[in-house]
Amino acid sequence: MMDILFLLLSSFAILGAMGMVSFHQPVHSALSLILTIMALAGLFALLSASFLFMVQIIIYAGAILTLFIFIIMFLNVKEANLPKEPNKNITLFLGSLALLPFNFLILRAFYKMPLHVNALESDFGKIKPLGMELFTQWLLPFELISLLLLVALIGAVVLGRKEEA
Amino acid sequence: MIANTLFAYIVVAMVLFSIGLLGVISRKNIFVIYMSIELMLNAINLIFVSLSRYHDDMGGQVMAMMVIAIAAAEAGVFLSLIIVLYRRKKSLDSDIFRTLSQKEAI
Repeated sequence: MMDILFLLLSSFAILGAMGMVSFHQPVHSALSLILTIMALAGLFALLSASFLFMVQIIIYAGAILTLFIFIIMFLNVKEANLPKEPNKNITLFLGSLALLPFNFLILRAFYKMPLHVNALESDFGKIKPLGMELFTQWLLPFELISLLLLVALIGAVVLGRKEEA
Repeated sequence: MIANTLFAYIVVAMVLFSIGLLGVISRKNIFVIYMSIELMLNAINLIFVSLSRYHDDMGGQVMAMMVIAIAAAEAGVFLSLIIVLYRRKKSLDSDIFRTLSQKEAI
């Protein structure tokens, strides 16, 4: 059962990613990226990270990619404004050939990883232990992230305002 | 049996990361380049979560949450940057955005 789910989810993730790099229109790319994000959320659930499953769906698919599709529709890009990529398929093929040695290196590095044998305690990945971990051991990175979000907010406002004269 | 091995998750994450890298190096549309960066962040997230499951430690999941927060911040800045660039150049071609590197292209 878990195997079938895993195979389905991972094939959906990979198919969505391949569609994302090969579609011409950015809206189609964004929609297939949503498919990938959803499939990855399912993989997180298979890895018993139930809080991250929700975060992935709510924040990634719900906030970031929706904002993204909103911006694509807001810009109202015409076909003439899209970049012309006449030999896109050839560059994609050659690039994937060039990336093969890199993949082979990673496969060799991870090849001897053993199976999962340890049983987990029942609340692994739930929101309460994750919050305990976040607010005790990872308190300083958490605060730094909030500072980073503030900086990004100010940066987005400064970049996006209309220029005066 | 497959879903219990760490190796299967690593392979999926590796393929997703490679596709993202491929999108960054071989596409010109700046939206697709940004989405490929998001895809690479997601592949790294998958590796973090599967290693956290493997080591029975929540640190990996906390790290994945940090990566999601950073991706959200990046999305805001990057999208406002794209809006400014599109208003100036009326194009989404990443080869046109070279004001910083070549003088005549201003």
